[in-house]
Parts: sequence; C-alpha cells; structure tokens
Amino acid sequence: MTKRIFRAIFYVTLVILIAAMVIILAFIRDFNKNNYREQMRNEAIYIADGLSYGGISYLESLPKDSNRITWIDQDGVVLYDSQADASTMENHKEREEVQEALASGRGESSRYSKTLAEKTENFALRLEDGTVLRISATTLTTLSIFLSMTQPMALVLVLALVLALFLASKTSKYITKPLEEVDLEHPEQALVYDELSPFLRRIAAQNRQIQKQMRQMQHRQREFRTITENMQEGILVLDTKGEVLSYNTGAIRLLGIDHISEKETIYALNRSEGFRTCVEAALHGSHRETTLEQGGRSCQLLANPVMEEEFVAGAVLVLFDNTEKAEREKLRREFTANVSHELKTPLTSISGFAEIIKNGMVRQEDIPRFAENIYQEAQRLISMVQDIIQLSRLDEGESGMEKIPVDLAAVAQSAVSRLRPLAEQKEIDLQIDVEPAQIMGVPHVLEEILYNLCDNAILYNKEQGSVCLRIRDEGAQASVTVSDTGIGIPQEEQERVFERFYRVSRSRSKEVEGTGLGLSIVKHGAMLHDASVSLKSEPGEGTEIHLVFPKKA
Amino acid sequence: MRTRFDEQLDQLHIELIKMGALCEEAITAALKSLFDRDKSLIPVVLEKDGEIDRKEREIESLCMRLLLQQQPVARDLRTISSALKMISDMERIGDQAADIVEITENMHDKKFEIASSIHIRSMSQEAVKMVTNSVDSFVKRDLELAQEVIRYDDIVDDLFSKIRGELIELMRQGGTDGEVYIDLMMIAKYLERIADHATNIAEWVEYSITGVHGKMDGGEA
Repeated sequence: MTKRIFRAIFYVTLVILIAAMVIILAFIRDFNKNNYREQMRNEAIYIADGLSYGGISYLESLPKDSNRITWIDQDGVVLYDSQADASTMENHKEREEVQEALASGRGESSRYSKTLAEKTENFALRLEDGTVLRISATTLTTLSIFLSMTQPMALVLVLALVLALFLASKTSKYITKPLEEVDLEHPEQALVYDELSPFLRRIAAQNRQIQKQMRQMQHRQREFRTITENMQEGILVLDTKGEVLSYNTGAIRLLGIDHISEKETIYALNRSEGFRTCVEAALHGSHRETTLEQGGRSCQLLANPVMEEEFVAGAVLVLFDNTEKAEREKLRREFTANVSHELKTPLTSISGFAEIIKNGMVRQEDIPRFAENIYQEAQRLISMVQDIIQLSRLDEGESGMEKIPVDLAAVAQSAVSRLRPLAEQKEIDLQIDVEPAQIMGVPHVLEEILYNLCDNAILYNKEQGSVCLRIRDEGAQASVTVSDTGIGIPQEEQERVFERFYRVSRSRSKEVEGTGLGLSIVKHGAMLHDASVSLKSEPGEGTEIHLVFPKKA
Repeated sequence: MRTRFDEQLDQLHIELIKMGALCEEAITAALKSLFDRDKSLIPVVLEKDGEIDRKEREIESLCMRLLLQQQPVARDLRTISSALKMISDMERIGDQAADIVEITENMHDKKFEIASSIHIRSMSQEAVKMVTNSVDSFVKRDLELAQEVIRYDDIVDDLFSKIRGELIELMRQGGTDGEVYIDLMMIAKYLERIADHATNIAEWVEYSITGVHGKMDGGEA
C-alpha cells in the first residue's frame, strides 16, 4: 500500500512538474516575441526619424553589428543594406512585409531559417517619401530556447524528482503508519480512518467469535482428555495413513511403550501380525478385534473405522487389559470343575453303596457298615457344601458381616475347644498360648479362620505331633500364629495352597479328610478383615501361618 | 502443508516397518516349527517369505520413484539409500527362514530329540532378538540400540562355533542318525547368517542417522 501511494504521489508530482515547465516555456516565448517586436518598432521609428534628417549617410553611421537595416524604394530596389552590398541584392518588392508596408504603412513577417534554429523577424515601415525602411533581427525559436534551457531544466527536474521522491515516501509512510499500527487483537480501539471502521468492527466481532469458539474447543478437548486420561482403557485415534492423532496414557501403558512422538505411525508402536491386520482392516473400513499377548499380559484390541459419509476418515483403536478377566475366567472354570469333581466323589460312593443295598446283594449284618459309609460320605458332602456356602458368603460380602469389637483370645478358646476331640483322636498335642487382643471383626468369620487353621494343622500333622496357636497384642495390630510340626508344604506349592480345592499332592489328600477349601476360607476371611497372611513352611518340618489383624477396622 | 515427498517418505517408513515385522514373524515361526515339531507352520513361513519378496519389490520401486522424481539430498538421500540396502538384507532373512523350514520338514519325519546340551535354542533366541532389535532400532531411530545389535553379532558368532564343536563331539560318539547333526549344523549356519543380516540392517540404521557407516568409513574391515 505504501508503495502504491508513493508511486501515485510521485507520478502526480512528475506530471505537474512537466506540465508547469511546458506552460512556462510557452509564456516565455510569447512574451519574448512581443517584447522583441515592440523594440524593433521603436528602433524603426527612431531610424526613420534619423533618416529624414541625415539621409543615407545617417544609415551608414549606424553600428554594423546591430540589427540589419535595409532601405528600399517604392519599386522594391534596395537602396541600402547594413550587412550586404545594396547593388547586388535582388528586388524586394515581392517580400511580404514590404508589400504590407507599401499598402498600410507598416508590415511584419517572420521567416524561419533552414535549420529552424533561428527565426528572422522583419519589420517594415513606409516613410513619408514613399520609401520603405526594413529592420530584420534574428531571434531564437522556441526550440532553441528550449535547447538552451535544457541544462537548467534538467537540474530543476532532477532536484524536483529528488524532492518528490523524498516527500512521496514520507507522505506515503505518514498515510500508512496508522494502518500499520492498528492492533488487530483490539481493532475497535484503533479507529484511525473513518473509512476503515466497518472493517475494524467486523474484525473485532470475528475476533470475539473466534475466541469464544477456541475457548469452547479447548474446553471440549480438556473434557475429552480428562475423560480419556482417567480411563483404564487405552484409546488411539488414527488418520487414514495410520498416524496417531490422539492417544491417552492408558494406550501407552497397554502397548508397553514409553511415549508416542507426534505424528508417529501406528506400526512403530506395535508391529505384531494381529495388530497390523486389525489396524489395516479398520483403515479399510471394517471392524476387527483381536487379543494381543505380550509380556505375560493379555490385551483386547478393538479397531473401528471412522467413516465420513462413504469414506474412511481414520480409525479408533480401543485397548483394554483383560489379563485379570482371563485369569478370573480360568479360576472360575477350575472352580466349577473342582466343585463338580469333589461333589461327585462322595456321591458316587453313596450311590454305589445304596445300589448294592437296593439290589439285595448285601447281607443283613453288613448293612450297618454300609450305612456308616453312606453316612460318612454324606457328612463329607455336607461339610463341603457348608464350606462352599461360607466362601460364597465371604465372596459376596453378605449382610450379617457387621464388624463388632471381638476378643481374639475368646474366639481362639472356642475354636480350640471344638477341635479338642479331633486332636485327641489323632494324638496331637494342641497347645494354646493367647493373650487378650481386641479387634474389630465378625466373630463367626474369625472363629472359622482360627478353626480352619488349627484343623489343617492337626490333619496334616505327623503322629505324636503338636500344634500351637499363639495370639499377641502388638499395639496397633494383633497377630495370630498357628505353627505345627506337620508334613509341611513344598516351596513351589506354597503360592497355591490358598486356592479353592487346591490340595498338596492328590494322592495324599485321599488319606486326609478335607475339602480343600479351608485355607481359601482363611484367605477370604483375612481379606474381609484387611489382615495380611504369610506362610512359612519346610517340607517334613512343619508349617507356620501368620496373620496380622489391624485393630481399627 | 505437507509435500508429496514427505508423504512418500512416511510411506517408505511404514512399509519398512511392515517388512521388518514380516521378517521377525517368518524367523520366529520357522524356529517354532523346528523346536515344537509343528508341521502346520511350514506353509506359514513359506507364505511369509513370498510376502517379504513382494514387499521388497514394492519398496524398491518406491525408493526408485523417490530418487528419480524428488532427487533428495543429505539426510533424505541417506534414508532412501539405506532403505534400499536394508530391504535386501531383510529379503535374505526371509529366504533363510524359508531354508530353515525346508530342512525342518525333513527332520520332522525322523525320530530324534534335540539334545539340551546343544546351544541351538539359545542361538536361535539370540538371532531372533537381534532381528527384533535391529527392526526396533530402525522404527525408533534408536542409534544406541543399533550399535548394541552390531556388538551383539560376536555373541552369535561364538555360539555358532560352540554348536559346531558340540555337534562334532556328538557325531564322534555316534548314536542318532548323523543326518540330523548335519541338518542342525546347517540351521546353525543359517542362524549365523541371519544374525549377520540383522547386523547389516543395524549398520544401515546407524548410517541413516549419523551419515557414517561403520564398515565403509574405515571402521572394522
């Protein structure tokens, strides 16, 4: 804009300058011409005056280097010429100025020289005796004036141009400066030119709208980020070429990478076959899902295309960790298999005994023994079902589990007294070493825990072995330790003994009556009380199980 | 505004990742077929080898188009020229995976037990790890990882000579069909070659990042 204004000003100045010079030149010429003629007229009158007194000798006395003077008689014969020999000159009767003078008393004419550089002005005057006096003077033509003036004119022109340049640049800057200083962030404060105010007002309005929309977008983006960041699931948004547009930390965690750089291609994050085919399918417009296994974790991947009308605009990948789910699923299947197996064994025995009796294949005196067997198996079933019920109650966190202040010592006494007959029968020395320890707990669950611990310790013991139940008040917590001199648990199995129906070595479990649920009940009961369970065991030496209950529930 | 050139370079990057992944899959499947005696994996490996060959041609023509149409300079030129070298190494890895399953196919018909005293399992683990790491170093443009792969080559070479010694010892003792030992020897050699190709890939990754190629610019001969 500055340039344009500058150019406009500059050209206008230039045009005006040239026009002014031309006009001035024309005036000068005109003025010159008139002035000159006036002088020649006066000169002619003076010389005519002189001629009438002094005759031809007066003419000869005049200086030769001034204007040319010619005296012509009424027939056109030259009587005298100041610059040439009069006798050799042709007749001047036909000359324009002479004719005019003879007719009207005075005549004028001008003739250009061959080069046009000079012009001869003639003035003729008829004297009283009828002769004609002519004065000729060479004057400069417009062209020669112009040529003679080129130098100063060029100088003026250059000066004017420089000045014009300087002023034009200044002026244009002066005009555009306020425009440059307009703060487009706050256009309404900068009303420099009235002509601009509609634009500025429009810009201001648009600015406000843009800011509002930006705020809304940022807000929405924050909202989206907050939601996705707090998700456990991983989300990745891809463009059509498979570059990551957006992601959350869940995705980084589940893909097992440290970071995602900007515009990274998805294949750089995971290039396994399943992942690749899923992503490619999604980018070609179809939904696909797969399970990714890596580093011992399993991860479900859902790949969905993002369609815009009929074209794929990208893809959204959702990842979620289903390691735990898969594990739970496995556990549940195992549990079901175990329950059915454990229930089936006694039922098969019962059914078998009953069938033999029904068929009358048993002698009368053997029936009590068979009945005893059926009774034992039924008892086993009952206790197992009870244990399962107990466990599922713990699982469900059923009502009736309100925690109240309980003295562990009292609970221990009760559990031990229930187990006394069993211990005596197995010839196990059941010792109890308790001190009062008050915790918040569910009495019947606590008793079940202690009962099961001691029960296990007695059942899986050596002959003449011993079991010791110890309870200690340790200030903020209470500890329960059950140690035995039993057969112990091998190192590699110690992890698993708390699982439902898990029994160390199947063959041995046949000898010992047990449901395989005892330690599972202990574990779940401890969880209900936020207690920690630790196990120390040496095969052949014995086992020690240590529980720590926090006092505050 | 991204130019077509940048888009083509990105495309090249993606295709190379895919080809690298195919190599990893081919070699992993080949070795799984060997150790787990899984015949069903043989066609899988051969299929992957074919796909690797197709990918090689595809990437090659993409590189040529880039070189002719865009006339890249400096870093971009290095990227493309190392891509051209890398694909031939990757293609060789695919071929060698196919060679391994071909040998494995023969071995499946025989009754034999790969003695645990032979280090072939650990060698194959190391070779696969090298391939994975070399592809990873390319994907992440990770110079350190590339240099680690280059150093790692010696370990695989040592394992190769160890296996050779072990096999000679076993053959001297007689016992199992001698053919099995020869087959195992060849597989070990293929693994050693695969490790070399992985090293080459890592060297080209190093070159494309630093502009200096270890072997060509006066490193180890």
